[in-house]
Amino acid sequence: MIVATDAALRSQPQRGRVFPAWAFIGWRWVWRSPAAAVVPLLQPFFFLYFLSMITDPRLFPLQVAGAMLFSTQNIGSWCLADSAVFRIELRLQDIFVASPHDKLRYLFGVAFSNLIPALPAILLLGVILEMLTPVSWVGWLVLATCILTIWILYAAIGIAVSSRLRSQREIWPVGNLIFTLLGILSPLYYPISFLPPVWREFARILPATYAALLVQGALGFAAASTEDLGLDAGLLVLSTVVGLIVAWSLYRWRES
Amino acid sequence: MAFGLRWAATRVFLATEIRVQLHEWLAIAMGTLTPGALLIFVAVLAPGLLPVTLIGALVYSMFLIGQRVLNEAAYIRIDHKLNELYHASPLSPEGYFVGIAGGMLIAYLPPSLFILAVLEILHPLSFLAIVTLAACLLAVWAVSSTIGYVVSTLFKDMKTIWPYSALLTNLLGVLPPVFYPFSRVPMEWRSLVLVLPTSAAAVLVNAAAGLEEVTATQGVLAAVALTVEATALFAFGIYWARRTARER
Repeated sequence: MIVATDAALRSQPQRGRVFPAWAFIGWRWVWRSPAAAVVPLLQPFFFLYFLSMITDPRLFPLQVAGAMLFSTQNIGSWCLADSAVFRIELRLQDIFVASPHDKLRYLFGVAFSNLIPALPAILLLGVILEMLTPVSWVGWLVLATCILTIWILYAAIGIAVSSRLRSQREIWPVGNLIFTLLGILSPLYYPISFLPPVWREFARILPATYAALLVQGALGFAAASTEDLGLDAGLLVLSTVVGLIVAWSLYRWRES
Repeated sequence: MAFGLRWAATRVFLATEIRVQLHEWLAIAMGTLTPGALLIFVAVLAPGLLPVTLIGALVYSMFLIGQRVLNEAAYIRIDHKLNELYHASPLSPEGYFVGIAGGMLIAYLPPSLFILAVLEILHPLSFLAIVTLAACLLAVWAVSSTIGYVVSTLFKDMKTIWPYSALLTNLLGVLPPVFYPFSRVPMEWRSLVLVLPTSAAAVLVNAAAGLEEVTATQGVLAAVALTVEATALFAFGIYWARRTARER
């Protein structure tokens, strides 16, 4: 039996339009609500200002790099909110389920549309980092790779968790619980050696910890041998893969 | 409408709101996350500042009630259209505003009491400090609930609200010396932070608790600013509730 989605409508484009459309969704949100563009940009700086008031100024470059990872991690919270609103309020997910747009592309689209409002802050933090300390091209490569990894993983977690929410009221507390806790527990804003031993061991369960260790080591903020960096990179990949598998199994595409 | 009649249904609505909020235990617990995060940063990076940060966490928690009022008032009005029913009932608009703000205050009190208990262990407060703390927290609640309620009436879409509430809580809760000592603020900014409700409250409580020294002029400026802002804004909140009782 041929269903509507099987019919090839030559008069309409079938490929290459959905991805830019997701980018447009991200951009429209910023455009329609100027505060939505300004707040994600300012959020890491509020935090950095607070940290600069209470810590040794020598930690500031490390904290700027940590803020780049933290801002990326926060995209997960926005993905959670967006995909929950799309599903619960707008019933938009039902339309995607009925369309040729599959589950994976939907997840990637939501993640991509939420990367756009975060990008200005991440880029600005990168400029500040370059002004504070010289960063080698290998350092930038490691930083960019870690940002991409954290973006994919935390966006997947956000979207997977959102598929289990039943009301819009749950978005704020659940999003806050997951992403603030994950942000605090990983040593993004200070060296891991500052943490008490038990907490240090617990932090090693989290992928963002390995991203932070890798970035801090590659940028010379913490002493790390090539073997240490290799091990951190391997554990980042491993924990990301495990996280993605968990998120994939948790995610509900169709309403039961 | 006679004064008694105007507030007649407030008690019932307040009780309803408390009950509704107490069902949102996750949201109540999550309200402690941001102050909790800042407390953890301070515990790791500057443990000597913990008592100041705990007082800041109390002030911030009160200020966060305004954010909850904003979300709740917007949710009732935009998502459920329930405020139309409330306004068609004997509940007056000002009773509605005070009911939401009061319900939030009571429901969100347990985490603050927990922080207060930790503060008492780390830095026991004198009677004067406890009275100052209670007065300042009430003033911050009055300011933040009014801001939250007024801002909630300006939106027609839930999604556009969060950036504004996040901006308000960061601008007034994280940037000024709420979680860190007033003495770390550059000299030229000190007069400004003393008139902001959150930092004025934190500075007054820190001074009363003997954690920081402020001059008499600075203390008077902070106390007068906080009193005027709390009284004037709460009165404005009642006026605004009456004015915006119906959708235009």
